[in-house]
Amino acid sequence: MSTAETPPASAIRVRGLHKHYGDVHAVRGIDFDVQSGEIFSLLGPNGAGKTTTLSILSCLLEPSEGDAWVMGHSIREDSMAVKRAIGVVPQEVALYPDLSARENLNFWGKMYGLRGTALRERVDEVLQITGLSDRQKGRVDKFSGGMQRRLNIGIGLLPRPQILFLDEPTVGIDPQSRRNILDQVKAFNRQGMTILYTTHYMEEAQELSDHIAIIDQGQLIAYGRHEELVEIVGELDRIRLTINTTSDTVLGTWQTIEGVRQISAEDSSITIMADDSNTVLPRLFETAAQADVRITGVEVQEPNLEAVFLHLTGRALRD
Amino acid sequence: MVKQSRKAFDIARKDLTRYTRSLFIWVMMIGAPLFIAGLIYLAFSGLGGDGGFSVPSTRLHVVNLDQPSAESGGFAAGTLLLEFLRSDELSGLVEVTVNRDEYSARAAVEAQSADVAVIIPEDLTDTVLGSSGRATITMVQDPTLTIGPGIVKSLLSSFLDGFSGSTIAPRVVAQQLDGRGIELSPQALQGVAMEYATWASELGRSQGSGQHPLLDVEAPPARVARQSTLAKLASQILAGQLIFFSFFTAASTAQSIITEQEQHTLARLFTTPTSRTIILWGKLLGVLLLVLGQAVVLVAISALLFGVQWGQPLSVILVLAGLVMVSSGFGTFLMSFVRTTQQAGPVLGGVLTIMGMAGGLFTTGFESLPGFLGTVSLLVPQGWALRGWKLSLTGAGPSELGLSVGVMMAMGVVFFALGAIAFRRRLA
Repeated sequence: MSTAETPPASAIRVRGLHKHYGDVHAVRGIDFDVQSGEIFSLLGPNGAGKTTTLSILSCLLEPSEGDAWVMGHSIREDSMAVKRAIGVVPQEVALYPDLSARENLNFWGKMYGLRGTALRERVDEVLQITGLSDRQKGRVDKFSGGMQRRLNIGIGLLPRPQILFLDEPTVGIDPQSRRNILDQVKAFNRQGMTILYTTHYMEEAQELSDHIAIIDQGQLIAYGRHEELVEIVGELDRIRLTINTTSDTVLGTWQTIEGVRQISAEDSSITIMADDSNTVLPRLFETAAQADVRITGVEVQEPNLEAVFLHLTGRALRD
Repeated sequence: MVKQSRKAFDIARKDLTRYTRSLFIWVMMIGAPLFIAGLIYLAFSGLGGDGGFSVPSTRLHVVNLDQPSAESGGFAAGTLLLEFLRSDELSGLVEVTVNRDEYSARAAVEAQSADVAVIIPEDLTDTVLGSSGRATITMVQDPTLTIGPGIVKSLLSSFLDGFSGSTIAPRVVAQQLDGRGIELSPQALQGVAMEYATWASELGRSQGSGQHPLLDVEAPPARVARQSTLAKLASQILAGQLIFFSFFTAASTAQSIITEQEQHTLARLFTTPTSRTIILWGKLLGVLLLVLGQAVVLVAISALLFGVQWGQPLSVILVLAGLVMVSSGFGTFLMSFVRTTQQAGPVLGGVLTIMGMAGGLFTTGFESLPGFLGTVSLLVPQGWALRGWKLSLTGAGPSELGLSVGVMMAMGVVFFALGAIAFRRRLA
């Protein structure tokens, strides 16, 4: 399929994307569309294939099968045009630690084709956006983790991209920096930038996204708006219990309780999907007491994306 | 295309900025080779500036009592001897003070303000010219000294040997002519003695200026003739160090491709609208420029510090170009086998040291090495680089360097190509 045959109806169109390394299939036939001007999240646990998908879309990796079009340009046939349309913020901080913030931005700006006054002005703008104007001459290896993350994002903004790829930008940072980044992402989107965001934090996907694709083991297992996805699990309540011993002793009994739809366990932590927590909880306590098991913690949640993931895969998202 | 090429220079410039901020790079690039060469230079600096062991100057007091007679025709053996001892060439060995009388000269030796005193007798010239029987030069020395008095004695003997001939010559002439029934007048015999003395006097003067009339020492004009032994030794050591550390710097900087991989900046570069070929060339250009800078700085500093004369300018440029090319190419090739920066250290140290040894980089000062080592050295690029520098150091012209420089260039291109192919495959 050529570029001309595919009208740029979507900012990103992905069809039949596969990536395998020998026998290992990192991505198994993914299809999705990202509309212009939206925030689209790829949500999934570590190793689900999010970063591989993003790497293929940013022309860092070649797909084994399938193709994708970014602003109408095929990643297979016109990778340079794709690269001109995007800004990429990798998961790892990819900066030169022995250069200053400005030197880093200057260099990366040149790699995006900026020169002279245009470069200088854009670097000034990005320094302002990232709040690093005061520290522009400081060496990056002297920066805090949060400042490095901000600069890492700033580099992705340098070319004023039509689409910004953000690969788990909040991993390993403090809550304040995280909040700051999420607010910035929303601000970029308000300015018209299309954003493809990967995360394994359900709350981030829920807060930011217009559309969410849930990915697991290289496959897209759900796709839609937040509300649409939550409907998958219907009105089920999610009960998380902590017990004083391993789950083996009560798991069998609890699965037989009326109203319990699904159970997953990890050591002494058990997650239960149930029709109504009010009727199920007393039965859980009763059978636990009979088995001489003590329940040390209870948490009841309304249906959310984690519940969707649990419902679809039988595993918790954090796995 | 032009925009893409500019990006290669941008990448090289960025790398050079980073290297120049690294203390390690400065130490290994410039500090270490100069330090090692300097240590060896200092260790051998006891050899002295002109190739002999340096000895302290001998304080010599001379009393010239020589009173030539009217028949000497203005010739004065005592004055000639004094001039000889005071010549510039002997100024490093003897420090001459002229005393008016014998007593003060002897007193100076006794007071140890002089090491040796030489008293030239008043009839020296007449004795040399044969009109007087025998004259004796008296040498008074500090009994606690050996080397200084020995040198003075040797100088006197050498000088007087010439004049002894002027007393022997008239006798030999007289005997020969007497055998044929010819008798010479005393004036004629004195004329023979005078002629001999004049010749001996010329000999003394020419020896004083470091030349011998019967010995013609010449050096090809293009060759570096006046280089001292120490400078030669420093040159050889520096050449070895320059080559070793050029290869080291090249491999260290080629390692930056792996460093960028580990710092995730290489992957990020690949997501920018910059072709992978340009990125790779930019990285290699950085290596090339850094090694060039190092070599130029080392050549310049060593010339200033150690008086190394690297050779004719064009020859130096050619060998430098060859060295930069082959070391950069080999560094790139070597690093294309390395997966992590942790692996790079041992590979760098091990491979480059063994190849340096094979190339003769650590034995440059030794003259009598087994012949097969010379053959072995030409199996490695370091050996060809050393060959090129050695030729340049002896003043060889560009035409004589053709083979060495050609082999270095060819090896450099091949290593570069192989390294680039390996990296391209790896980064694909």
